[in-house]
Amino acid sequence: MAKPLPVEINHIKEKGAVRVTWDDDHVGDYPREYLRGYCPCALCQGHGGEVKFIDVVDAKLGGISAVGNYAIQFQWEDGHNTGIYTFDYLRSLCPCPECKDSQDR
Amino acid sequence: METVTQDIVLEALKKVQDPEIHRDIVSLGMVKNLEVAAGKVKFTVELTTPACPLRDRIHEDCKKALAGVNGVTDLEISFGAQVRGSKSGAGQTDLLPTVKNVVLVAAGKGGVGKSTVAANLAVALKMHGAVTGLLDADIYGPSIPIIMGVKEEPKKIAVNGGFKLGPPMAHGLPVMSIGFFLEPDQAVIWRGPMLGKALHQMMADVHWGDLDYLVVDMPPGTGDVQITFSQQLKVSGALLVATPQEVALADVVRAKSMFDKVMVPIVGIVENMSYFICDGCGKKHEIFSRGGAARAAERFKIPFLGEIPITSSLREWSDKGVPILVREPKSEISKIFLEIASKLAGQLSVVSETARRAQSLKIVSS
Repeated sequence: MAKPLPVEINHIKEKGAVRVTWDDDHVGDYPREYLRGYCPCALCQGHGGEVKFIDVVDAKLGGISAVGNYAIQFQWEDGHNTGIYTFDYLRSLCPCPECKDSQDR
Repeated sequence: METVTQDIVLEALKKVQDPEIHRDIVSLGMVKNLEVAAGKVKFTVELTTPACPLRDRIHEDCKKALAGVNGVTDLEISFGAQVRGSKSGAGQTDLLPTVKNVVLVAAGKGGVGKSTVAANLAVALKMHGAVTGLLDADIYGPSIPIIMGVKEEPKKIAVNGGFKLGPPMAHGLPVMSIGFFLEPDQAVIWRGPMLGKALHQMMADVHWGDLDYLVVDMPPGTGDVQITFSQQLKVSGALLVATPQEVALADVVRAKSMFDKVMVPIVGIVENMSYFICDGCGKKHEIFSRGGAARAAERFKIPFLGEIPITSSLREWSDKGVPILVREPKSEISKIFLEIASKLAGQLSVVSETARRAQSLKIVSS
């Protein structure tokens, strides 16, 4: 089967979360701190090793943009914007209970 | 006598499938200007590319479908073409809003003839009737100005209150190259960020006008330029050029893995320097072996679009700045290019349908 692609990215300000709807009808709500924490850029993650969680208190999301055909970029209000979240990575982060169970993180 | 209505005709035409997209031509919206009057049926089939390789087949299928309808006394089918954009992805700022399809001509390594293939395919697409442009992004060895024989420089033109660069025309195609901005014999010695900026300018600051296809001659390899293109442009697809020997396979693998990562679909592989027909003995010499690219295509399920033989006139006229298609449009080598261009256009139409999902990504905030 083809890899799932996102069809809608909705920044729900009231909830402090980003809702990603996928074309296989999967929906996940990503809290802002969680998204910021798993930023994939080299500044946050270094070069190699396990994926780290970076605790940023009160992460505010300024904007979201698409990168080419394959990824999403978040602009945080503290100026951080180097994280390019590929669709695959974004899906692997999905925090919904169903995905969490199978990820065993 | 039974009266034929538009609905009856449309119902019958629903049995006709686009052989590449595999959906019927009515729901694809390809049937236009349908007129039905007293048994006379007249309509236009709007193909997804003027280079459509399947025009005759669709024509036959339409005739067959309507042969079964009672009361049709006269049938007139004409063909038009509206190239559909296949740009996938959801870059919020499209750097090239007036370009429907961006095709990258790429290879995992240098010296396989990317520039020659890119230039001649662009000319071939134009000869098929599509409005086509050519962008030379090979910053290390910009050879398109030589191959296309461009003498002029880009001109500054006023567009919407600002200024843009007007690309020079060569053999009827707008052509842009980083080579225009360099002194002859000067080399580009830039690091990544400079390259990114220069490429951005060649895309955003150039007035391409409305194009059906923009063919991009990529630099060899899998580096900065490739990443810039995949991040800043809505690329329709990549065409891989390979040579026949076994080692070339490794380069195809690398190029494929890169494009997979950035989700640029690969629309086909072309094998260049496939064979050489000796003008003395007429024998076919397979100098670099043969069929390596076809095997790679089969292994990775990529459409194989054709083999281009080593032809001295191709080399000779490229050096003189006249594409072989312009010089000898009826020659064997020109026919090969026209056929590959037609297959490429067909593949891009397929991609444009499947990419609709990716295009629909909405970014909202509430």
